[in-house]
Amino acid sequence: MSDMDKMKCPDCGSEMNHHADKIDYDAAPESEAEAAEVVIEAHTCPDCGRTATRTARAEI
Amino acid sequence: MDMERQLYIPVILGTARKGRASEMAARFMLGEVSKRGGVETELIDICELKLSMEDAGESIKDARFSEQMRRADALVIVVPEYNHGYPGLLKHALDTNLKEYIHKAVGVCGVSAGGFGGTRVVQNLLPVLRELGLVTIFWDMNFSGAQKLFDDAGNLLDRAYVKRADQFLKELIWMARVLRHGRENVSLE
Repeated sequence: MSDMDKMKCPDCGSEMNHHADKIDYDAAPESEAEAAEVVIEAHTCPDCGRTATRTARAEI
Repeated sequence: MDMERQLYIPVILGTARKGRASEMAARFMLGEVSKRGGVETELIDICELKLSMEDAGESIKDARFSEQMRRADALVIVVPEYNHGYPGLLKHALDTNLKEYIHKAVGVCGVSAGGFGGTRVVQNLLPVLRELGLVTIFWDMNFSGAQKLFDDAGNLLDRAYVKRADQFLKELIWMARVLRHGRENVSLE
């Protein structure tokens, strides 16, 4: 992930830390092969502790 | 590491059964967490969550419960053992969130009428918690003979549990601090 991809905290605007990827099994994939490809990225703000997520495609 | 912001560690009472002894165990744990400096806590009683039974999962989120899970640095889950398993309503409630739990600490307090203190329900719950993204500690609380552990006013009759709770909470708070530092400062990349 490049610095360009870093999330900004919706509360204080600080750059957030991407600390986890979690497979989204409820993403309703169209095929079995896609089942493990959708991940939830977890991000947390180092300044205020706010958490945020976004969905991404896993590189598998 | 940020030691200034308080940790938020709610206690989840994981059963709605009438006459539940788990409530006394949960209130005891709430009191022990409340004694810790730098920690905010509250009791979350799953029977007060008005979750739909017409659906399940994140589509039936309770906004307040989800916000409590989002804020939490760690969870204490008090769970009785029913037929060697956990109450279905607890699973129903936990399943309403997912991203809110990621890299948060959790400790489990088993409760049973018999002598094993809910050890089987603790073991059964651990893989569920792991899949939710929670990080389990290696101390458990085991409330054995729960109906006789508290007097009618809910006072604990066996003081040995105070020392056990101290060990349990020291581990949980350590894990909560470490995971907060990791969430905020240690990148996955």
